[in-house]
Amino acid sequence: MKAAILTDTTKCIGCSECVLACKKVNDLKSDVPRRWDTDDGLSARNWTSVMGEPDNKFVRKQCRHCLEPACVSACPVGAMHKTELGPVVYDSSKCIGCRYCMMACPFGVPRYEWASLVPYVRKCVLCYDTRLKQGRQPACTEVCPTKATIFGDRDELLAEAHRRLRASPGKYHNRVWGESEVGGTSVLYISDIDLSFLTYGEHFGDKPLTQTTRLAMEAVPFTFLGVGMAMTGLYWIIQRRMALQAEQAGGKSDGKTEPEE
Amino acid sequence: MERVARLKLILWMFVGLAAAVATARFLFGLGATTHLSDGTPWGLWVGFDVMGGVALAAGGFVVTATVYIFKLEKYHPIVRPAVLTAFLGYVAVVVGLLFDLGLPWNIWHMMIYWNPHSPLFEVGWCVMLYLTVLTMEFFPVAAEDFSALARARRFLVRFRIPLVIVGIALSTLHQSSLGSLFLIMPYRLFPLWYSPILPVLFFVSAVGLGLLMVILESHFTAYLYRRKPETHLMNPLGVAARWVLILYLVLRFGDLAVRGQLHGLLGGQWQVKLFWFEIVLMLAIPLILLFTPQFRERTSWQWVTAAIGTSGIVLNRIDVGGLADLSRGSRLYFPQWTEIVVSLGIVAAATLVFLVMIEHFKVWEERPADPDANPRKLPGFDKVGLTWLGTPVIAGRVKYSLAFVIAAGAGFLFLGNPRAASQGVEPTPVHRARGDVMYLKTGLVNHQKLPVKSADGEEGVLYLDADLTGYGVTFYHQREVDRNGGQKSCVLCHHMNMPRDRNSGCYECHRDMYLPTDSFRHDWHASPAGANLACVECHARGYARTSAHVKPCVDCHKHLIPSGATIKIKTYMAPSYVDAMHQLCIGCHARVALKENKPEVARCVECHKGKLNYADAQNLLYRRRALTGRLVVLPPAKANEAK
Repeated sequence: MKAAILTDTTKCIGCSECVLACKKVNDLKSDVPRRWDTDDGLSARNWTSVMGEPDNKFVRKQCRHCLEPACVSACPVGAMHKTELGPVVYDSSKCIGCRYCMMACPFGVPRYEWASLVPYVRKCVLCYDTRLKQGRQPACTEVCPTKATIFGDRDELLAEAHRRLRASPGKYHNRVWGESEVGGTSVLYISDIDLSFLTYGEHFGDKPLTQTTRLAMEAVPFTFLGVGMAMTGLYWIIQRRMALQAEQAGGKSDGKTEPEE
Repeated sequence: MERVARLKLILWMFVGLAAAVATARFLFGLGATTHLSDGTPWGLWVGFDVMGGVALAAGGFVVTATVYIFKLEKYHPIVRPAVLTAFLGYVAVVVGLLFDLGLPWNIWHMMIYWNPHSPLFEVGWCVMLYLTVLTMEFFPVAAEDFSALARARRFLVRFRIPLVIVGIALSTLHQSSLGSLFLIMPYRLFPLWYSPILPVLFFVSAVGLGLLMVILESHFTAYLYRRKPETHLMNPLGVAARWVLILYLVLRFGDLAVRGQLHGLLGGQWQVKLFWFEIVLMLAIPLILLFTPQFRERTSWQWVTAAIGTSGIVLNRIDVGGLADLSRGSRLYFPQWTEIVVSLGIVAAATLVFLVMIEHFKVWEERPADPDANPRKLPGFDKVGLTWLGTPVIAGRVKYSLAFVIAAGAGFLFLGNPRAASQGVEPTPVHRARGDVMYLKTGLVNHQKLPVKSADGEEGVLYLDADLTGYGVTFYHQREVDRNGGQKSCVLCHHMNMPRDRNSGCYECHRDMYLPTDSFRHDWHASPAGANLACVECHARGYARTSAHVKPCVDCHKHLIPSGATIKIKTYMAPSYVDAMHQLCIGCHARVALKENKPEVARCVECHKGKLNYADAQNLLYRRRALTGRLVVLPPAKANEAK
């Protein structure tokens, strides 16, 4: 099973029960507005938030748990990890605090404990340790009173999302957010409003972001060897030519004119 | 030599400032000393200290390649300074990284936890390895003066060519990989900077920067130590830099054209203006100067070219590293002064080490004298004139230490209160609260403040909107009672009140919505700059140092007790309440006694613990009135009517 969440924004009434349940389960303390907050309501102590949009629309924001997560590929020490079950989890004991995951995330989800002297990255982990491992669903989906956000297998939820789109044509934007962009995400949305504000880019491609660095990273050993060999070759050629020139000029040379300094 | 001494003085000041900020950085965290945010988690310390630093140190591999691989022997004199610059540059990068990392003590994790998919992992390893290579390249110079190290030195000199080749390969890798770092954020970086060929652009500009940096460093040190500037040697380097910059120009704009972003060059956003500023600094001005022989061959113009070009390319790194960030909804990032000071301080420290190395090791053929090795003699005492001759001179270590200490002191002064800043909470003053009683179970709101209990007996909760935003906080009376020390604490709020208030406003104690506040300033009392009290002067010896074992404020603040008063003054009472007591409080006390079924609250002895006869009380009252002049004495006739 690939754990996933489907959020239907037309059903959301903005009650923020999911936010409270998340705080309870993950033992997150109460929060106050900080200088480094962004306007989406997420913070190191708010792993999910309900964004109020015009016309009484509510959109729940949380980690998307990408199928090919940019944060996992970016982390230099492998502190971010995509589990078999589906959630992207974080190992604070490995973290060095470089915040490259925060830069890499196309949804701008990971948060930092800027106020702390021992700051860690914080984000939704889909209740991986606290509930998912024991076969229970995340706290947020369990408490949702209108079943606007539901938990299940990703394939089944995708089918359910498409079923809803077919069942009431015209009610929704005809797409499932998270189905394919940046390689697909585990957290899916169907909505009657445009959800591109959840991301940095308005026009996300379907190519996973991990692909963007792959070419450069695969070229690393070849670049190293190539540059090394080219330099060795150049050195040898130039050395040889200088030796020959010296011979022609009549001077004595042993071919090794390596100066002491 | 005065030039060197003067420069050193300025550098020491920068180091002092940076030391103060560094202290705050490690005592109070990143929140206190940076303008970084969840929207822009990378800023100047990544853009300048790390990315700019690595690029500035590119001169090392460029010059070693020129001399040892391409055999351009005439550049031999600049190999040593270039390698030294590179070595110190990389050390500075690592130091800068320690500031920027949230958990700098974990920096070694990169050696044991591997993630080969990450460009940052590769950069980290390359920097580690290249720093080792640079150490081995520079070691022979440092070891020259120590005969004990001769064997190691000979060994490293023999392996110089392989070392140089490995160094070039490593530099190629991480100079370009610093660009690869940003490939993963196509949606975050502004389109004028994001490009699939960022690694190539970074590498090419690093080579250009390396060449310009060599020119700058050569002329700078020549100026400092009054040597003959190596203008003719630098001229071909300028020519080389010219072609590198041309290549960069073609690549940069060709890439924009291929990606169809050329129309973006005419946009009105501030990022576009930043782009053009960067292009003018790093390409336009240097190229014009380098293509004009009369500029290129003149020492002063080489200076200008190198200075403008290097700052342009470093600006490019800063832009990519944080300035040209497109994060949605977050405030624009601009570095805090503390970030700038730390960056400058690291550069200053590296420069100081560079100068010391030049003076004490054989980096050049002849070592320049240390300007402070023989400080000017202190002026002597003239016995005939009975006076000091000349002005006293502070020189050498004393002078630099003084500069350092003064700058560090100024830094601490500028820092203000980093603890408050570290919480990132903006000051939100609390006003006189407006609120209603709310019943949480039913959600009903009672606009009348009393009764606090609903019909079915549920305790109402005060819902207070203290910052006047339209959003309130819930106020649980019992919780406040528990927190402030049980029943005895009633006075904390109910005796601070102004006439006709039933209780004190929240803002009397909570001056800010989000900062923990206390009406009693403990910090001030303990601080040497404040009351400067030892703990035992208030807290009883041998007991836990809590509010339970502390002597009342009136023990020291005698003025809180009106002269001749016999009632027991509570710790928190202000003197004017003695007046208020008899006129306003008794009624409230009587009400509370009835409502809470606590008759003792209404008894006189609750307040008047000692004996008090009526005449004394009357005297007291009148004396206070005469002293304060605040209360108007009612004429006897009217008083009788009121009765």
